[in-house]
Amino acid sequence: MKINNQNLKNMKTTKFFVKALLCLALVTSFTSCSDDDDPAPVNEEEIITTLTLTFVNNANPLDFVVLNSFAADGLEDGMSTETITGNFTAGVTYSLSLGLLNTSENPAEDVLNGDIIPEADEHFFAYAVNGLDMTMTRDADDVPGPDGSNLGVNTTWVANSAGTGNLQIRLIHEPTSVDDSNEFGSATGGSEDFNITFTGVVIN
Amino acid sequence: MKLSALFVTLFCFQIGFTQKCDSVFLGEIRDFHDNTPIVGATVYIQNLNKYVASDNNGKFKIENLCKGQIILVISHIGCETKTVSYMIEGDLFKSISLEHHIEELNEVALRAKENKTTQTAQETIIKTDVLERYSSLSLGDALKEVPGVSSINTGNTIVKPLINGLHSSRILIMNNGVRQQDQEWGIEHAPNIDINNAGQISVIKGSGALAYGGDAVGGVVVLKPGRIINKDTLYGRTILGGHTNGRGYNITSTLTKNYSSGWFAQLQASYKRNGDFRAPDYNLTNTGLDSKGFSTRLGKRNFESGFEFYYSYLNNEIGILGASHIGSVFDIERAINSGQPLLIEDFSYDINAPKQDITHHLAKANYYRRFQGFGKVSVQYDYQYNQRLEFDVRIGDRRNIPAIDLTLQTHSLLADASLDSNLERKYNFGIMGRYQNNFADPDTGVRRLIPDYDKYDFGIYGTTEWQLNDDLILDAGVRYDFSRIDAKKFYLISRWEERGYDEDFSDIIIEELPTQLLTNPVFNYHNFSASAGAKLDLDNYNQILFNYSLASRPPNPSELFSDGLHHSAARFELGDLRFGKEVSNRVSLTYSYNSTRFRLLSEVFYNRINNFIYLRPFDFVLTGRGPFPIWEYQQTDAQLYGIDLTVTYDITDAWQFQNKSSLTKGYDKETDLPLIDIPPFSTINQIRYTNSKWNNFSASLKSEWVFEQNEFPDFNFEVEDELSGEMVLLDISTPPPAYHLLHFYSEATFDLSEKTKLNVSLSVNNIFDTSYRNYLNRLRFFADELGRNISLQIQLNY
Repeated sequence: MKINNQNLKNMKTTKFFVKALLCLALVTSFTSCSDDDDPAPVNEEEIITTLTLTFVNNANPLDFVVLNSFAADGLEDGMSTETITGNFTAGVTYSLSLGLLNTSENPAEDVLNGDIIPEADEHFFAYAVNGLDMTMTRDADDVPGPDGSNLGVNTTWVANSAGTGNLQIRLIHEPTSVDDSNEFGSATGGSEDFNITFTGVVIN
Repeated sequence: MKLSALFVTLFCFQIGFTQKCDSVFLGEIRDFHDNTPIVGATVYIQNLNKYVASDNNGKFKIENLCKGQIILVISHIGCETKTVSYMIEGDLFKSISLEHHIEELNEVALRAKENKTTQTAQETIIKTDVLERYSSLSLGDALKEVPGVSSINTGNTIVKPLINGLHSSRILIMNNGVRQQDQEWGIEHAPNIDINNAGQISVIKGSGALAYGGDAVGGVVVLKPGRIINKDTLYGRTILGGHTNGRGYNITSTLTKNYSSGWFAQLQASYKRNGDFRAPDYNLTNTGLDSKGFSTRLGKRNFESGFEFYYSYLNNEIGILGASHIGSVFDIERAINSGQPLLIEDFSYDINAPKQDITHHLAKANYYRRFQGFGKVSVQYDYQYNQRLEFDVRIGDRRNIPAIDLTLQTHSLLADASLDSNLERKYNFGIMGRYQNNFADPDTGVRRLIPDYDKYDFGIYGTTEWQLNDDLILDAGVRYDFSRIDAKKFYLISRWEERGYDEDFSDIIIEELPTQLLTNPVFNYHNFSASAGAKLDLDNYNQILFNYSLASRPPNPSELFSDGLHHSAARFELGDLRFGKEVSNRVSLTYSYNSTRFRLLSEVFYNRINNFIYLRPFDFVLTGRGPFPIWEYQQTDAQLYGIDLTVTYDITDAWQFQNKSSLTKGYDKETDLPLIDIPPFSTINQIRYTNSKWNNFSASLKSEWVFEQNEFPDFNFEVEDELSGEMVLLDISTPPPAYHLLHFYSEATFDLSEKTKLNVSLSVNNIFDTSYRNYLNRLRFFADELGRNISLQIQLNY
């Protein structure tokens, strides 16, 4: 009698278990069939493909110098090509206008006005020159940056004397502290979104 | 006596007049689990209606048996009564094992007995009482109790076990019988396991445990839940802890209900929280942790058969040191030169980007049944769901969108037969089938690091264990695994061509987009693994173990498919579709000496790994953030060897001294360079005082001395600062100097009532608040390790 009961129990357990296994197998087959389609491509949204610095002679709007950096896969991790159009003239004052675009989107996305300026308190443009006698000021109407600084979007540049050298622009994201008392600007902490140096910039 | 003789006579009479009744049956009764003899068991010979009892060696003798069947009913206090029958055709010896519940109860209540998974492998067990000390920490921290096991860290909460210098895909983690599948290939992907779930952990160096898998080039970590006892009882455990460093707190509770019928149910939940940790000189901003875990078991467990349902959930939100977010190699250079993090803020519990948010579900069902004279057959189905979200520092409305969003689902079916009716010749066979799907969500807006893939695995194995005599055990095993990966991966056309895939893999392109190619790589791998070993007891004190194991590991998804910028490392990482499997030949020799006062365990190993896959710098790429080094996964032949020592000396009954030392060497045979991330020599000395009269009081002082790693591959590189034209050196290779730390631990246990025990422990880590950096912490460029931490933990067993 006791043995029969035990057997019955075991049979029940076995049956239950077989059922459970079947159910689980069914679940398995459903989930494994669910995503047979090809995955969708990801076009990086955050990338900057094109950086353009346009220096326009304040006295003559037809006289300008364009520094351009282009990376099809994005400046962050793609190979970039720098081109310089035109030369500076000693003694001339220029206004710099910046352009940051993502041309992998159609139409091209304006990263400067769309992303960076709305979050100006977390970004900072720092510039530097080497071998070039230039001075630079952040304009009064520049966009306010972190900690009472000027972001560095609207700037004025003076080419002092003739020479050839390098000009660097960096965009720093979430810097710990920034300092624009030296107008070119410096920052500590944070991470660089880009760090581009144009070599062979000429002042005639 | 006369009466029984009469019975015997009568019995023989019944069977036949011609039979001689002079056979002798010798029996031996042993504990089913640990093979210890069971003394004083009652043996009722049913057909003779006669009783005998087992002697001090668990043996008993029945004489004057006639040919034919005898039925024995064996009972012992605390054991399930067992009925066995044998055919008597002459003298016979049989070993009979009993399921010994009282012993088990003792194991749970007092001190877990060593219950090793393997015979000849280098296996170390971490018992419940030690695990309880790590209640607030991670699996990787607890495993460092084992000499030869260190950890590779990303910060202080992402801790991955490193066994004899190997980690990640080379270590197999078994969580309650389920092979953990949680994107373990990544160096910053810690095992998603709540240590409070485990009742015991076995660490097996090398791949000797073939039943779990054949690809454990580094080792196997086996987590077992607490034992279930067949007794009507309800018990629980609650641990509460508080910690000064990081202002952390943790709570875990387990409640278990058992029935004598074998039914059991268990509920367990844990919560851990801490804010920013602190190095001796500054806060480690954004290093908080929020961890929630829950698990439940339900089933019935008897000697003959049983089943179990198990479910566990774990969610970890882990902050990653804010200062470690870098954009360019110049950022990393500034971080190295500044000597302290570039982002230090006031203490906070907030967890901001960069951070990880990982959810892991595990469900399993198993059933086993024992067949008399055959062994045990078990089947298991398990399912795991792992979601990994990694949040990077992003701008705009993408701020709250993870940069990595991977969902990994795994289904496994296992069947195993263990033939242990003859305890001197045990055999074990099994098959395994597994299906895995990885889905990388494109909504991240970041190109997938790991592609969508389906992976199919099939394994079959057989192992055996021969007890040749009382002193010698041999074991051996073979295993075959088939593994197929079927991925859908996008490549940038520029990368595709640069890798030369346009020549070798043009047939796998399924779609061409303007800048990207969709490809369908499908790879099959056939893996053979084997092991053999011997365990020899020289005498009561000296024991020698020898083991050889062959393991093969197919390349993991990151080794095959990586192609992109790894932000936290400031480097490009490139995998290779052409990789074949990695094959390891490992020999190990263990010598142990055990006397009452002095114990020595010495483990040596040599591991030769052909086609060892590892990352090394290869080239540069000039990007808009400056030059970046390109690191390529490459295959080479490597060798690792080392020695792990544990010496324990009981100076008096109260005072104990222990030393654990470990030396590991690893070399790339092709380039003759040392391997990267090999743990430096370390030695831990501990002195402990115990007094059982003072409520089991114990106090210990531990000195941890980690040497500087002098053997490292020099992967330093120079980049040109384009503005000034100067070359800048990036020292990313030189290991940090040696360090020495002192830790204190003390505890006492109070009996509150017959069934309630209160354990209070106080510990101080890094007593002197020493500043140091750890070679095996990937964030060592950015910040020091943790400063002093004082912890108070209260544990209630009821």
